[in-house]
Amino acid sequence: MTGRIARSIARLGMGAAAMALIGAPLMAQGPTDAQLMGDAASTGDVLTYGMGPQAHRFSPLTTINSENVVKMVPAFSASLGGEKQRGQEAQPIVYDGTIYVTGSYSRLFAFDAKTGEEKWQYDARLPDGIMPCCDVVNRGAAIHGDKIIFATLDARLVALNRLTGKVIWNKQIADYQAGYSATAAPLIVNGMVITGNSGGEFGVVGAVEARNVDTGELIWHRPVIEGHMGTLNGKDNGITGKLNASWTGDQWKNGGGATWLGGTYDPETNLLFFGTGNPAPWNSHLRPGDNLYTASTLAIDPATGTIKWSYQTTPHDGWDFDGVNEFIPFDATINGKPMKLGAKADRNGYFFVLDRTNGKFISANKFVMQTTWADGFNKAGKPNVIPAGRPGAPTAEKGTTVFASPSFLGGKNWMPMAYSHDTGLFYIPSNDWGMDIWNEPIAYKKGAAYLGAGFTIKPIAEDHIGALRAMDPKTGKIVWEYKNKAPLWGGVLTTGGNLVFTGTPEGYLKAFDAKTGKELWKFQTGSGVIGSPVTWETDGEQFVAVMSGWGGAVPLWGGEVAKSFKEINQGGALWVFKLPKG
Amino acid sequence: MKNRPTFDRRMLLHSMGAVFALAVTSSAADAAPIAKVKALGVLRVAVYKDNRPWSWNKEGQIVGIDVDLAKALAQSLGVRLDLAELSADESVDDDLRNAVWRGGLLGFAPVDVMLHVPFDRTFAARNDQVAIIAPYYRESFQFVCGNSDIDCDAAPSQFKGRKIAAELDSIPDFYLTRTGGGAIAKDVAHYLTGSEAVMAVAEGKADAVLASRAQIEAGLHDMPGRQLTRRKMPLPAFSSGGWDIGMAVKENSRSLGDAIEAELEKMMATGQLQAIFAAHGVKHVPPALV
Repeated sequence: MTGRIARSIARLGMGAAAMALIGAPLMAQGPTDAQLMGDAASTGDVLTYGMGPQAHRFSPLTTINSENVVKMVPAFSASLGGEKQRGQEAQPIVYDGTIYVTGSYSRLFAFDAKTGEEKWQYDARLPDGIMPCCDVVNRGAAIHGDKIIFATLDARLVALNRLTGKVIWNKQIADYQAGYSATAAPLIVNGMVITGNSGGEFGVVGAVEARNVDTGELIWHRPVIEGHMGTLNGKDNGITGKLNASWTGDQWKNGGGATWLGGTYDPETNLLFFGTGNPAPWNSHLRPGDNLYTASTLAIDPATGTIKWSYQTTPHDGWDFDGVNEFIPFDATINGKPMKLGAKADRNGYFFVLDRTNGKFISANKFVMQTTWADGFNKAGKPNVIPAGRPGAPTAEKGTTVFASPSFLGGKNWMPMAYSHDTGLFYIPSNDWGMDIWNEPIAYKKGAAYLGAGFTIKPIAEDHIGALRAMDPKTGKIVWEYKNKAPLWGGVLTTGGNLVFTGTPEGYLKAFDAKTGKELWKFQTGSGVIGSPVTWETDGEQFVAVMSGWGGAVPLWGGEVAKSFKEINQGGALWVFKLPKG
Repeated sequence: MKNRPTFDRRMLLHSMGAVFALAVTSSAADAAPIAKVKALGVLRVAVYKDNRPWSWNKEGQIVGIDVDLAKALAQSLGVRLDLAELSADESVDDDLRNAVWRGGLLGFAPVDVMLHVPFDRTFAARNDQVAIIAPYYRESFQFVCGNSDIDCDAAPSQFKGRKIAAELDSIPDFYLTRTGGGAIAKDVAHYLTGSEAVMAVAEGKADAVLASRAQIEAGLHDMPGRQLTRRKMPLPAFSSGGWDIGMAVKENSRSLGDAIEAELEKMMATGQLQAIFAAHGVKHVPPALV
């Protein structure tokens, strides 16, 4: 609430003085740390990726609800323009009458939240030598004080003045020439910008870093692969894990584990939660051991970058099951005991519930049709691995084909799920698909012979690939599901109005009854929807916004799956909806 | 046909004299790719980035065997060279898409010809958007020892406790990590390129290396005075018998491919190609064409 008061006073032209009066720190005008932490409860703005640091993607707003959503209409649409109509995965940020969105090719736009008119636009100048593995996407910005901050494909972090779009600072966070990139939305906690890293698998080591939000200077660096030294204020701060505990020889040096999707934060336990990617090299037969901390969730102390606990969702990954997915803190009563928990829907097809205070395993339940790599998890939190489901060791002959489900694109990929405070359910954007995988004797890399793997992704059901599923975290049961022909690739939003929103590659933003899964409303946006919707209210009116623009990793892969989206055109637009007046 | 008017109009706008420009561009656009290269006076060639000794950055200059070959080709066609460095993607199939027939997502313009493309029938068949032409070298892996107290011809499992260098995630890495049931998996020292692995042995940081012949010979050439022992025995159950290296042009640029093949043939006959290799310390091995 203080934010809104400060804002209205500021509009009267008394900004700095008013802020000093109400006890806010004398900082450049805009959202404070406290406001970011309170984002989930403040309905007049959207200040954080995930609509709160815990990323519940839940709004208590009820103006638009399951009774009247059928009447919802567009308020306006705003094009990102240019020739760069490709892969819009961003979540909008809404503050002080402005909607901030990031676009493909590392662009950031500020639109008037009432009219959709563009206020300013920032285009990062990208070197043409970048080879982003999985399309030229960006997932969103972070706002703090007078700054709006986002990451670019050439692995830089850029802080812009939120009113003018002028650069305040611009820091390289990794070397794009060494294969690093950045696409995730930054997380801001206690005046620090917290980011992961991303990039191809070759020689990359995952890390989480904290920087001063005002200057971009590095505060701490925490590699996520055992054996690597972390730093705090420029000094060594202990190695991650124990050297060679789960890696052979010097393989930990280039172990992978990129933290490419960013993280969440829980103010209650004061822990950052970051997921880590798959180990490198890809073929698991070359790197015996669990390969910690790849394909894991890590709990990190935001003050020092020290790892407090870890849980590995896919030990010794051999299927490209990144463990990067968001870990969402929530509270529930399990076996009569109120507990502080966290949940993650993993690439590997399992929905995990952990004790978020210590990482202790509570449960793992399948949220996809089929998992060929494991048959559930035991009480200790280890998968019952099916040995025949592991792709074979590299050979010079074409080996047997292994069918693996989920495919390497995962039961759930990057797209964030939502958690409803009303229904207590998690809404998971998932995909039912598998892959045939075999040794490829005639493979070449950088002009040289190589033992590679060939694969084809394929649907495993007649009627769908995508499935939006409502998961009860207490029972592990799917309460309802909505099936979609094409793979789902967009984020989810849920509201106090008994609604769940998500987009489809076919171009629709859809609204469902949160309790029953009944489809209540849809609107064709003109291109595939793979962004994450948000909602807020201004002057008593509730708005819903989402990015439209097909792209991302899915269209880069052909095969049978491509048939489900071959008619979908690229795009790049912000759509904003509301109820008609009167 | 759909794109032609746009092409001509843009060229017009960017030219000094409209009538002259029309004459040049329409004849260039209508002509076969080789005529187009000659009319524009430039040959755009892709070489790999960080691919020593073929193409790599030496104190700010792009140098290497492929770079010299590209220069010689442009010269023999009587045109200027536009050298494009390509970052390798996950496979050469991807590189062909990024460099030759589509271009990069971030503005990397397609080239006329890409060097260092495997010349292999099965590989060519699945990359039908390009024509793979002009094989110019036979590559293979070799094992060399830098430490004189190693019996370089012993079974690899005998090297337990020694440091054996290899490029990360390469066939040598696969082989050394897996040979003898993983007997020397802990002893494999990984480097990001084969050349770095060779250098580690040349500098005495590792005891032996399994790398490509060109990487080894060029490495020795660059570190004169260092004696390495070549393994004479074949490595047991080593799968790669070598492969031919050629070039790629767009599928519809075969006239350019033919011209390049004719120039390459001349360069082989006159010894120019062999001299380019020799300047980098590598003995030219003609392609096996199997």
